[in-house]
Amino acid sequence: MSNAGLAQFQQVFVEESLEGLDTMESSLLALDEGGDGELVHTIFRAAHSIKGGAATFGFPEMASFTHEAESLLDEVRGGKRAIDKPIVELLLRSVDCLRGMFDRAKAGEPLNDAVSDGVRGELAAMMGRAAPAEAGPARRGSDQADGWIIRFQPHAGMLAGGNDPLRLIRELAAMGELAVEADLSRLPSLDKLDPSECHLGWTIELKAAVKREDIAAVFDWVEDECDLAIEPRPSAVVTPAAPAPANITEAATARGSREASPESSSVRVAIDKIDSMINLVGELVITQAMLDTFREEFDPAKLPLLQQGLTQLARHARELQESVMGIRMLPIASVFNRFPRLVRDLSQKLGKQVKLDLHGEQTELDKTVLEKIGDPMVHLVRNAIDHGLEMPDKRRAAGKHETGTLKLDAYHRGGNIVVEVSDDGAGLNREAIVGKAIERGLIRSGEGLSDEAVGELIFQPGFSTAAVTTDLSGRGVGMDVVRRNVSDLGGTVTIRSKPGQGSVFTITLPLTLAIIDGLTAAVGEERYIVPLISIIESVQLKPDSLKTVAGGGELFRFRGEYLPVLRLHELFGCVGAKRAIEDGLIIVVEGDGARVGLFVDGLVGQQQAVVKSLEANYRRVQGVSGATILADGSVALIADIGGLVRLHGQRKAA
Amino acid sequence: MAKILAVDDSASMRGMVAFTLRGAGHEVTEAENGQLALDAASAGGFDLVLADVNMPVMDGISMVRELRTRPAYKGVPILMLTTESHTDKKMEGKAAGATGWLVKPFDPEQLLATVKRVLG
Amino acid sequence: MGSKRGRNEKAVEIGLPADCRMAAQTALLAELLGALDAPATQIDGSAVERVDTAALQLLTLFRREALSRGCAVSWRDASGTLCEAADTLGLVKALDLPAAVPA
Repeated sequence: MSNAGLAQFQQVFVEESLEGLDTMESSLLALDEGGDGELVHTIFRAAHSIKGGAATFGFPEMASFTHEAESLLDEVRGGKRAIDKPIVELLLRSVDCLRGMFDRAKAGEPLNDAVSDGVRGELAAMMGRAAPAEAGPARRGSDQADGWIIRFQPHAGMLAGGNDPLRLIRELAAMGELAVEADLSRLPSLDKLDPSECHLGWTIELKAAVKREDIAAVFDWVEDECDLAIEPRPSAVVTPAAPAPANITEAATARGSREASPESSSVRVAIDKIDSMINLVGELVITQAMLDTFREEFDPAKLPLLQQGLTQLARHARELQESVMGIRMLPIASVFNRFPRLVRDLSQKLGKQVKLDLHGEQTELDKTVLEKIGDPMVHLVRNAIDHGLEMPDKRRAAGKHETGTLKLDAYHRGGNIVVEVSDDGAGLNREAIVGKAIERGLIRSGEGLSDEAVGELIFQPGFSTAAVTTDLSGRGVGMDVVRRNVSDLGGTVTIRSKPGQGSVFTITLPLTLAIIDGLTAAVGEERYIVPLISIIESVQLKPDSLKTVAGGGELFRFRGEYLPVLRLHELFGCVGAKRAIEDGLIIVVEGDGARVGLFVDGLVGQQQAVVKSLEANYRRVQGVSGATILADGSVALIADIGGLVRLHGQRKAA
Repeated sequence: MAKILAVDDSASMRGMVAFTLRGAGHEVTEAENGQLALDAASAGGFDLVLADVNMPVMDGISMVRELRTRPAYKGVPILMLTTESHTDKKMEGKAAGATGWLVKPFDPEQLLATVKRVLG
Repeated sequence: MGSKRGRNEKAVEIGLPADCRMAAQTALLAELLGALDAPATQIDGSAVERVDTAALQLLTLFRREALSRGCAVSWRDASGTLCEAADTLGLVKALDLPAAVPA
C-alpha cells in the first residue's frame, strides 16, 4: 500500500481533528458554564479520535500528548475526578497546544515545543505522576524450547464470539509440524447441544523451536475465553535469553517523519448539494437535446419552442452556477466559534464582564473569505473589549448593567454578506481621537468634522501605533490593517458609534471571490470591470469643474469634498480613449478608506464577471485584481479599487 | 474476497481502513456509528466487522452486544479498533462479544495481516 | 438437502451446504436429530466450501451418538475443505473422514 494513496486520509485527519479541537474547546467552555455530563463524553471522544488518528497518520508526538489529556478526561468521565476550573483551564491550553502542533506539522517543524512540553508535564502532574518518557515498552525475556505441548480448552462461549479454534490451530500449524488430539469427553448429548457453544478441547504438540510468547500471541484474543497451558515438550531443554528486540521506537519514528505534504485544501460538501447539481446537469442535458433538434432543420413555426429552450438553458446554467458556488460556501459558525474562548480569556485578563451574543452563525460564506475574515474579526473583538466596553464600576456609574454585551452578527444583504461586531460600551471618544489624529499629523483640527469623518480617522494608516496600543489589541496592528485585510477580500469596513451607547463595526463582503458584480466601463478599445460594491455614484462633469493642483493632480468637487481624478487611460496606457472631461464619465468609487473618481469613456453595462486570476495566468499587476471573459469572447480587466487608491497615493507622494 | 463492514466516526480512519481493504480486493461497506452499522448489518451477511469503540449515537461496545443477539452474526468475527490505553475497553468489548481487537495506531500492513488472520 | 424417511426405511442422505458455518447449524442439528432414528445415514459433504469448528463438533457428536444407537454413518463424499478442517482439529478419526491430502 503506497503512502501516496494514504496521504489523502492524512489531510482528512488534519481537517477533522481541527474540527474536533473546536468541539473540545466549545464543550469545555460550556462545561465551565455548568453544562451537563454529556459534554465530557463529547470532549473525550474528540480527544480519543485525535489520539488514534495522530499515531496512525504519522504524528506520534501528537498522539502521546493527546494521550495525557485523554487520560485526564477518562478519569473525569469515569467519575474518579470532578471537573473544576483548573482542569478546564488546563484542557483549554492543551487544545491550544494541539492546534500549535498541527500548525507546526503543516510547516514541517518539530511538533513539540517548550509550551507543549510544559502543558504535557502539567497534565501528567495533575494525575499525580511524571510524564512517561517516550520509550519502547520493556520486554520480558521469553522462554524458548525446541517443542511445546499446548493444552487448549475453550469456554463454551468462545465460538459465538468469532474465535474459531480452527483458525487458532491453523496459526499454530504455520509455525511448525503439529500433532493435534481432540478431547471429546465434554460433548453433551446431541439433543442438548447448542451448536454455537464449544465443548471440544485439544492437546496440541508443536514440534518446532519457537518462543513461548509467539504461541501465546496466537491466543491473545481468547485469554479470558479458554483454559490454556503452554509447556515445553518433555525432551525440550535450553532457556536462553531472547535476542534484544530491534529498536522499535526508532523505526516507528523514522516512519513517522514523512515529508511535509504539499498544502492542498478541500471542502466537505453535503450530499444534497451534490444531488441537486447532478439533477441540474440532467436538466441541462435534456434541454440541450431539445435544442439539438433545431440543428437539422429550422421551421420558423418552431420559434417559440426555440425561445423556450434558450430560456430554460439560461435558467439552468444560472442555477448550476449558483449550486457550484454553493459548494464553496460554509457557515460562518467556524469563525464565530473561536470567540467564546477569546472573549473569556480577554475579559478575565482585563477584569471586565462581557457577555458574548452570537447571531447568524449559519450564514454561509465563501471558504476563502471565511479563512481570511478571522483575523480582522479577532482584531475588532479585541478592540471592542479593550477600548469599547468599560470596567464594571464605570458601567454601573453610567447606569448600565455591569456586564457589557458584545454582539457578533452575520446576515445576507443584497448580494453581500454583512458581519457586524457591536458593543454597548462607551462609544468612540471623539476628543481623544481628534487629539491623537492632530498629534499624528493626520488633520489640523477637528472642527467641522462629522462623526462619520471622526470614525474614519481610526482606519487611517499611522493612526494607531505601538505607543498607543495596549498589550491586548496591540501587536502593533491597527485598524488600517483591518481595513486593508477586508479590502483585499473585496469588502469594506465602517464604524457607527454613539457616545455612551457603544459602537458597531460593519464589515460588508462579497458572497464569493469567484464572481463579482460589476459595471463594465469602456476606456478606448479596452473594457474594465468596476466592482459594484465599491461604486458610490457616477457623474458627468462640466468642462470647467476640474481643479488642477500643484504636482499635476486633478480634483473635482463631490458632495462637499474634493476628490482626486484617476484617468484610467493614463494609468493603463489605453489607446483612443476620450480625454476631455465632459466627454467621458466619472465613476466615484471608495476603496481603502478613500474616495476617488475614475475617469472612463462611458459605461457599457452591468454584469456578473467570473474572476480569472491574473497572477496565476500572467503576473500580478497593480490596480488590477483579475480578468474576465466578456460575452463577445474578449478579455476585460477587473479594477482593484483599493490598489488604484494606493497607486494614486504613491504617485502623489512621488 | 470477503465482505467487510468498517465502522468508525472518524472519516480519516474509516477512509484509510476502507481504502486499504478495497486495495486488497475486499468488498467494504462503511458506517459512521454503531446505529448505522446495525442498519447496514441487517441488509447483508458480512464476513467481518471492524468497529471503533468511541462513537457518537451508538458506541462500538453496544453495537457488538446488539449484533451478537442476531443469529446471523453469531460466530462472525468482529474486531474492535481500539487504543492501547484501554485495556478495560478491550475486555469490555470482549465481554460484549467482540472477537478481538486491532490496536491503534496500525498501518495498512498490520490491518491486512490481522484481517487475513481472522478470515483464515 | 435432507429427505423424509419412515422408521424402517433405509439410508437417509444428508447434504451439507456450501457455507456450513455456525449460522447453518441450527437447521443441520434438526436434520441430524431426525436422522438418529434411521438405520443408516449417508452424509454428502462434497459441496462444503466453508466450514467451522461448530459444524465439525456437531458432525462429530452426531456420528458418536448414531453409532452408539447402532446406526451406520458414512460419507458419500467430502470436499477438500472439509477434510482439511477435520484434520486440523484432530477429528479425522472421530469423523471417519479421509485424511486431507497435503496441499
